[in-house]
Amino acid sequence: MAVAPQDWSEKSRDLSRLLARAGLGDRAAFAQLYERTSAHLFGVVLRINRDRAQAEDVLQEVYVNVWRAAQSFDAAQSQPLTWLTSIARNRAIDSLRRKQAEPSLLSSTQPGPLSNDSDEERDVYDDVADNAPGPLALLSQASDARALSQCVEGLSAQQRQSVALAFYDGLSHAEVAEKMREPLGTVKSWVRRALLSLKSCLENAVVRDVQAG
Amino acid sequence: MDYSRPELSDRLAAAYVAGTLRGPARRRFVSLMRSHPGLRRAVSAWEARLMPLTTSVVPVTPPPRVWQTIEARIAPANAGAAAQPGWWAQLAFWRAFSGVATLAAVSLAVLLLSPPPSQPPIVVVLSAAGGVAPEGGVIPASFVASISADGRAMVTRPISNVSLQADRSLELWAVPPQGAPRSLGLISAQGATVVKRGKVLDNTAALAVSLEPTGGSPTGAPTGPILYVGKLVL
Repeated sequence: MAVAPQDWSEKSRDLSRLLARAGLGDRAAFAQLYERTSAHLFGVVLRINRDRAQAEDVLQEVYVNVWRAAQSFDAAQSQPLTWLTSIARNRAIDSLRRKQAEPSLLSSTQPGPLSNDSDEERDVYDDVADNAPGPLALLSQASDARALSQCVEGLSAQQRQSVALAFYDGLSHAEVAEKMREPLGTVKSWVRRALLSLKSCLENAVVRDVQAG
Repeated sequence: MDYSRPELSDRLAAAYVAGTLRGPARRRFVSLMRSHPGLRRAVSAWEARLMPLTTSVVPVTPPPRVWQTIEARIAPANAGAAAQPGWWAQLAFWRAFSGVATLAAVSLAVLLLSPPPSQPPIVVVLSAAGGVAPEGGVIPASFVASISADGRAMVTRPISNVSLQADRSLELWAVPPQGAPRSLGLISAQGATVVKRGKVLDNTAALAVSLEPTGGSPTGAPTGPILYVGKLVL
């Protein structure tokens, strides 16, 4: 259970209470929950789907769903921030799928990550706010997760970059491969090994914590 | 594919949570998850591992119109949100209703099948609402409610020590699957309380205990924090 970093669990404690009350139909508590979490979720969604209008729709769907499902949230099973962020990420990734299925809705100024104008060498991050850190920077900054950041340090450079592109920017294996100019199979195995190594590293960290404390 | 193989489930769960599982494979995985508790467990474990990575994502405050739309969409039907279908047209209602109907049918079956003297009471364990599990992963239960099988009487009893300020009371609520909770009255923080409020089980998905001013909620709805919650599982 103690995998999550301290801050994450502390923020989550308050949110559990709000979520429990929202589950009982308390709109004021739900408004507070939105107040405290929407900027985080919007940030996460916006990195994955850079189309602002679509990202707003995703966020809206996320909270309407949270309101309806709040009663089924089980604080014993997961932490609220983990639960909320997972819902937001899943919705955001699904919205990419729809976007690809409906190319006519793509705005012409925002080519999808799959577009082939490689001459232009267009940076995938052009559309993010100017000073937004890249995915690799994010991975090393996720540092209030002490154990997690130590585990991230243990990854090879390629593993780190491939996982960061996939996780933060919602790129598929093929898109990561294109971005890194590496064969698809290689990228797939980097991502898979990176995830496995994070898992075993975090499990060891928990064992160390238990032994130390 | 054999999704009961643990390594395979774990690999798929990792790819799902990391976001690299895409297209038809992702959709297939989502529908499989519904019937495979093992997959769901693997997914929660990966979510717990990876979601803290998002702490470094720069927050972006959404424009006010997003909340306005959400607020309109979750407004109660009588608030006149035109696009909102009535409660009777909503899937959630029928889901909840069919849940309650099943519960009623099962209770009836239990009533019919078992001889009256041996009817076991239904026991609901209430634990701290929103409690984050300590290292052991277990949130200590704080109240137990035993409900007679016919749902007519209930006894609540604190398990652990509940310390309460002098100017506060604990109020018990029956929470329906949808809609406002109903008060079942005040309960004692020290000893057993017998609650007699007709059909306690009717249209009740969970029991909750809230902290209220002495004498109970002045408004008829919970005003204080929900301290303990227990779901009704038959």
